[in-house]
Amino acid sequence: MSDTRRGFIAGLLGAAGTLAVSGPLGAAPLARVKELGVLRVGLYADNRPWSWEAGGRPKGIDADLATAIAEGLGVRPEIALFPADEEISDDLRNVVWRGGLLGFRRCDLMLHVPFDMQLAAREDQVVMVAPYYREDFTAVCSSQTRDCDMPPQRFVGSKVGAELDSIPDFYLTGGFGGILRGDVEHFPTGYDAAAAVHDGKVEMAVATRAQIEAAMAGRPDSRAKLRKSPLPMLPSRGWDIGMAVREDSRSLGFAVEDIVMQMTADGRMAAIFEGHGVSWQQPEATRSIG
Amino acid sequence: MKGIRKTLVATCALAGLALTVPAMAEGPTMDELMGDAESTSDVLTYGMGPWQQRFSPLDAINTETVAKMVPAFAASLGGEKQRGQESQPIVYDGVIYVTGSYSRMFAFDARTGEKLWEYNARLPDGIMPCCDVVNRGAAIHGDKVIFATLDARLVALNRKTGKVIWNKVTGDYKAGYSATAAPIIVKDMVITGNSGGEFGVVGAVSARDVNTGELIWNRPVIEGHMGTLRGQDNGITGTTNATWPGDMWKTGGGATWLGGTYDPGTNMVFFGTGNPAPWNSHLRPGDNLYTSSTLAIDADTGVIKWHYQTSPNDGWDFDGVNEFIPFDGTFNGKKRKMGAKADRNGFFYVLDRTNGKLLNATPFVMQPNWASKIDLKTGRPVFNPDNRPGAPGDAEKGKSVFATPSFLGGKNWMPMAYSPDTEMFYVPSNDWGMDIWNEPIAYKKGAAYLGAGFTIKPIAEDHIGALRAIDPKTGKIMWEYKNKAPLWGGVLTTRGNLVFTGTPEGYLKAFDARTGKELWKFQTGSGVVGSPVTWEQDGEQYVAVMSGWGGAVPLWGGEVAKTFKEISQGGSLWVFKLPR
Repeated sequence: MSDTRRGFIAGLLGAAGTLAVSGPLGAAPLARVKELGVLRVGLYADNRPWSWEAGGRPKGIDADLATAIAEGLGVRPEIALFPADEEISDDLRNVVWRGGLLGFRRCDLMLHVPFDMQLAAREDQVVMVAPYYREDFTAVCSSQTRDCDMPPQRFVGSKVGAELDSIPDFYLTGGFGGILRGDVEHFPTGYDAAAAVHDGKVEMAVATRAQIEAAMAGRPDSRAKLRKSPLPMLPSRGWDIGMAVREDSRSLGFAVEDIVMQMTADGRMAAIFEGHGVSWQQPEATRSIG
Repeated sequence: MKGIRKTLVATCALAGLALTVPAMAEGPTMDELMGDAESTSDVLTYGMGPWQQRFSPLDAINTETVAKMVPAFAASLGGEKQRGQESQPIVYDGVIYVTGSYSRMFAFDARTGEKLWEYNARLPDGIMPCCDVVNRGAAIHGDKVIFATLDARLVALNRKTGKVIWNKVTGDYKAGYSATAAPIIVKDMVITGNSGGEFGVVGAVSARDVNTGELIWNRPVIEGHMGTLRGQDNGITGTTNATWPGDMWKTGGGATWLGGTYDPGTNMVFFGTGNPAPWNSHLRPGDNLYTSSTLAIDADTGVIKWHYQTSPNDGWDFDGVNEFIPFDGTFNGKKRKMGAKADRNGFFYVLDRTNGKLLNATPFVMQPNWASKIDLKTGRPVFNPDNRPGAPGDAEKGKSVFATPSFLGGKNWMPMAYSPDTEMFYVPSNDWGMDIWNEPIAYKKGAAYLGAGFTIKPIAEDHIGALRAIDPKTGKIMWEYKNKAPLWGGVLTTRGNLVFTGTPEGYLKAFDARTGKELWKFQTGSGVVGSPVTWEQDGEQYVAVMSGWGGAVPLWGGEVAKTFKEISQGGSLWVFKLPR
């Protein structure tokens, strides 16, 4: 399985046009990390349940995963929480291959990078590795909702929640002829939108499955309901989440990928997710070839 | 312990002394700031006077003599922080004050170019500014020079020492707020806008006590938000939900990132507002007031007196922040108090500045195609629906739209100038368009997203930049100078019948204000994207400009990038005069 995955990565790089690889195929980055004894990992700030700051420390699934990977490499994790820029391309530039304009030091590894062939082909400064979760959007409804699986337009007249400027936002404000536009309540994150269902501020929220499950786990008392059927006409069928290293750091990327596969196989991966109330879902990339 | 006591006593004694010195001696007064357009021995305000016409009555350097102009000195900002230098110098009492990229300020001896002091704002490394780390200039008042920093602060420094007098947070940089514009000072108040490209940012204009930095009034520019005056509620902006659906007004955008102008006659400050959020216009049917507009705000209370919206339901990321420059003249045979604005959307607007009524609107760039014209009766654009980017929501790559101007605008931040002698505006403009399409394979914060793809393209063979002289009475373009690379610097005009502006290719150039004939140029070693100024010192006329390539243009690639790929970065103040 590991060989197949590496073949896939090599194929992606080929498609993107081979950028000059300096020296022997990047033995240095992994050795450097081990020599320094530190793995610097970039994680999104305010991205609950994946990564956020609490009491001055990084928390979340990605924070736990980053720590486990560093342990697997026998080094200390150094987690840098960074604010998301307008889109993934900006984040990869700021965090992985160039660094920030105002002195943000680039990281050895970035988590929560969508694992997508078309994206990888565009981003030739980085290598995408180690898909570790399958994400998708779904909905959560309050205990008062009669049928959580009814078409979203039937919620007209009740408040519905979404993260500002996200697919759930466009879906609710722009979909169904815009019938829900006046009912959409905007939140800074999908987790906040999901939590608002438990607080009774909105009747239904659309967010990522992980955001919804984590918010539910924190509030079992609210008896909110998870939607079971897919949301009709949603312009996303889900995506894989993986990691990225700089184009010249493939040796590190492959070592990380080995650790992630081991964690998946021995159940540590699912346990980390469970610790945050999220059920681990196998990424499609490893399903189809695994 | 004893030592400390002694120091304390000494300080008290000094403070006591300072109190006895009349305030006049400390530096420029409010009257002097308001008279900056007429005074020739200094440059005290951004725009050279409250109207910001960037006109000087000096004429020693003129169409006859300018060919002989030579550098007096150059001064480097030093360090490794050589990015876009968009600053306009301030000149007072033998000192030139300039701001630099990365929120720095410098004081140079105006006679020798020797550096007197330098202030470096300590910036948190978590800021990721959208559009380069520029700053556009400082304000001066009494013993203070004041400028805004990238982490959304206003900093007042002692103009003699560069030491901090006060330092106020004006926005939360973690929430996406930033600041790059030059502050204006009106009636002992520092008046600023705000900036930020992130979601959730709401544009506002605020006034602070120049001596303490304490807030006096604040006026959010999006309908539904409450304004304040001296800590009290002071009325909601517009009418909640009149032109916005749902709760979108709460995060409506409209950042006032370019600052404003002031008209002492009507006591109004004029601020342009940015584009609405979210970016895609189909999600927010309605005019989305007051985004992409010019607002006239009462300087004493922060109450909006009138508004004029240049791009209702903006779907092209044009925004409407461009400066509104007051001028007096005749229009249709009648004497009028007017103001003009060359908008990002490619139209040049002339309004009655007492009431915001549209008098004329004409294109100032090649073929704007998002609207066929501006209807002078209704004051609204006549849209070309085919050239509006499509609604998001399709998983397929949407239809591509070619719209002109591009989202970087017919004119971006760089200020134009007006000459009361020639009665013409000199507008630094760019001819370019953009392909826009909905991009289904996009990701934001690790989640699938419906983005938009852009490519900016030149629309002429021989140029992108064009400095244009416009007669505001007719909207007619009287002359134009074409430049290969996009123009990104401010303009200065003088009684010497000259127009000065810089080019990315590194030149400061002088043109005949009536004919547009190029009369002089000098290579400064890096691109010029700052605003030139002129003043008189020891009986001689001086011209100064910052050199240092950067700003938003180099952040975008494609065809446009070919026009500036050989331009190196820099960071210098250049000062010129005639040989003795």
